Amino acid sequence: MYKLIKDPITGEILEYALRLSDNSFVHRELNNEYLKWLAEGNTPEPADEQN
Amino acid sequence: MSVSYGGDSITFADGSVNSSGFIGNRNRIINGAMVVDQRNAGASVTLTSGGVLTVDRWQGFEDTDGVMTAQQDTSAPTGFVNSLKFTTTTADATLSAAQFSLIQQRIEGTNIYDLAWGTASAATVTLSFWVRSSLTGTFGGALRNSASNRSYPFTYTISVADTWEQKTITIAGDTSGTWLTTTGTGMNVAFGLGVGSTNSGTAGAWAGSTFYSATGATSVIGTLNATFYITGVQLERGSTASSFEYRSYGTELALCQRYYEKSYAQGTVPGTITTTNQMQGIRGNGMFVSRVFFKVTKRAAPGTITIYSSTTGTSGKVNNANSGSDENSSVNDSGDGGMQVQGTTGSISDTYRYQWIADSEL
Repeated sequence: MYKLIKDPITGEILEYALRLSDNSFVHRELNNEYLKWLAEGNTPEPADEQN
Repeated sequence: MSVSYGGDSITFADGSVNSSGFIGNRNRIINGAMVVDQRNAGASVTLTSGGVLTVDRWQGFEDTDGVMTAQQDTSAPTGFVNSLKFTTTTADATLSAAQFSLIQQRIEGTNIYDLAWGTASAATVTLSFWVRSSLTGTFGGALRNSASNRSYPFTYTISVADTWEQKTITIAGDTSGTWLTTTGTGMNVAFGLGVGSTNSGTAGAWAGSTFYSATGATSVIGTLNATFYITGVQLERGSTASSFEYRSYGTELALCQRYYEKSYAQGTVPGTITTTNQMQGIRGNGMFVSRVFFKVTKRAAPGTITIYSSTTGTSGKVNNANSGSDENSSVNDSGDGGMQVQGTTGSISDTYRYQWIADSEL
């Protein structure tokens, strides 16, 4: 499971999402595990209003 | 001193061999002597179906009904100080067709482009390595491309149990298929530790299939407490195995850091509570922002980054030195040269402390 993170100043979604299993940050375009997870039809949790 | 010339190699009186035209930077394998272990610092890891990094650059896979561990070891042949050891802790004596266990290194395409594989000019390569096992018999492995639709299974024989033996395999370059010359995976070099029939092929021939090993090879995972050690792995251009290309530890570490780097001291496992080498930053008006510059340019922007509190070792956190509490972090604006670590809690001028790892492994 993954969770998106929003930049608290600009409000933009950051390029790294949070992997909830180990609190690591995965690149949303470069992490193969994340891309495979997305391709399986999964969607990340939305970002909090403030990280 | 005496030398002898062997066509495309020079053999010196002490038995060391240099191959033609490639006196330096011959070995396309990184950490072939298994000396760098940034992630585990010598601790044992259990292989997984998705792959786990053992010593740097070497990924272990195990997708069977058994269990296998891997660990940097000090057993080594003369001239080496480390090897990578595998131990079967739960055996699977009857692998189904699709099951497998293996160790492999993915070589970056930028490090093999001169081989011209996938063209009529494909160069011959020679793979050499030292192995030791509690088992004897015919063992296997394979080279394959990133798409896993071109493979070359090979075999070698371990004649005496628990004894170091050096093996050499010469492979005519593949004139077919696509072999990446980019920062992606150019070539996989795999050693089978037990591979079912689906991914085992005829040794000594290129095939348009996904093979990790050769048909009939010994299964290390098939025997409880079986051990398998490997070190001195070298893949070089040409038909002769030259002597292992020793590189200084600093050079080897830097080569590994193109794929994985950490703030922690070498020998310290990430997640350890320590302030040694920690990063620090001070929160401004909007939020805490700290820029990290990597010591070595990465293959690509890290696919995975982990931030750890220096004082608790908790992942995903930075430690606020003023309040003493761990607070959420995030990462942004990464590239092959660095990354930005940030957080939003705490007060203006609070000091934050953390450790990090950045993973750009293939």
